[in-house]
Amino acid sequence: MKAIICISVLFFATLALAAEDYCYKDVVEACKTTTKKSVTALNCTAKYGAIDNLQSKLQRYVNHHFIRSFEYLLMATHFANYEKNREGFEKLFRGFSDNKWHEAIELIKYITKRGGEMNFNELSEGIRDEDKEEQDFELLELSSVAKALDIEKKLALEAFQIHEDASRKMNGFHDPEVSSHIEHEFVHKQRDIVRKLAGYTTDLSELLNGPDASLSLYLFDEYLQKQ
Amino acid sequence: MKLICVAILFVSAIGLTSAELQCSQKELKIPKGWIDMVNPCVESMRNQIEEELKASMRYMAMGAYFSQDTINRPGFAEMFFKSASEEREHAIKLIHYLLMRGELTNNVSKLIKRNLIPSTTSWANGVSALKDALELETSVTKKIRKVIQKCEDNEKFNDYHLVDYLTGEFLEEQYKGQREIAGQISTLEKLMEKHGALGEWLFDKKLQGAE
Repeated sequence: MKAIICISVLFFATLALAAEDYCYKDVVEACKTTTKKSVTALNCTAKYGAIDNLQSKLQRYVNHHFIRSFEYLLMATHFANYEKNREGFEKLFRGFSDNKWHEAIELIKYITKRGGEMNFNELSEGIRDEDKEEQDFELLELSSVAKALDIEKKLALEAFQIHEDASRKMNGFHDPEVSSHIEHEFVHKQRDIVRKLAGYTTDLSELLNGPDASLSLYLFDEYLQKQ
Repeated sequence: MKLICVAILFVSAIGLTSAELQCSQKELKIPKGWIDMVNPCVESMRNQIEEELKASMRYMAMGAYFSQDTINRPGFAEMFFKSASEEREHAIKLIHYLLMRGELTNNVSKLIKRNLIPSTTSWANGVSALKDALELETSVTKKIRKVIQKCEDNEKFNDYHLVDYLTGEFLEEQYKGQREIAGQISTLEKLMEKHGALGEWLFDKKLQGAE
């Protein structure tokens, strides 16, 4: 029995050791004059921590940003036609579209920083289901802000989900670098956007309950232009 | 008891209707004579918006590929990410043009579909990606020319202004861009002839410096 434990301890010890410096070992091997040099076979990637297990959710998050970016672009487009003529609302949604776009690019760069790769096919079931229904992005002022609030909350909760996965202490999932990145680059910004949009719905629903909704919307649009 | 229930329901229904927000506004009667764009010109412009976005996502895939640690070509990656954003800007320019001409008052929700996923996601090396980029630009140029043809050779309406805009702004950028990529391919291929890895590495550093 003792012998078995001893052997297995030794076995795992050597395995752990090998895991620590396998890049160096590969390089030593590759640099030997007798063996055939093969650069691609080197185990020298940027991967460490739990990136392999978190990667697919990060890829999804990128794709969801792209989809939302295009949706916001359509919402902005609608407000910019001559009938709607709401420059402020156009600016609001165009800004969201631009932000989602740039955040998606930055997140691709981040995934590759951690030794991962991008997969443009990764989508959540929820997003796939959305596609089955007819989508409407030609919305009234209040409805558009309401839709944006829902979208932003979904994205915020998705960030929580990635954070939760990265915070699980079990092997292969604990990755404080990922959770910290999510916090700094997404979670706090999303808090502010959600709060802003919730405030807009409060204002708009009160204003539209007044005697002159048209004038209210005109003034609110003017206000949005200056934001 | 039943009566009370009905009464409560009735009252609450009134309450609901009186609290209804005035979200929509009355239909407007704006003269439409000034809106003079015709089909198939409008339709081809609308399609071109998605074409530009598709090109954008193809550049995005190139950016993602060259960002990887095992490829490590940050100069290439940055260039392709930049191109991706430029293609998106083209789409937005087309949208703004149509809006200026009084278009896009309906069917906007279907303007961009969700089928923009890039098909190719890896390349043998920098040269092959640049060649792909050149072919992509060539195909975009051809498509813009087709839009121009549709908007010009129309018996009902020759859209001089749009044709001028597409020729002066879009084709101008296309041809200059194509020349630039072709030049890059030439330089890189010559560099790599005898110094494969070193050539590409140097070229990448040069691209990084170009930012």
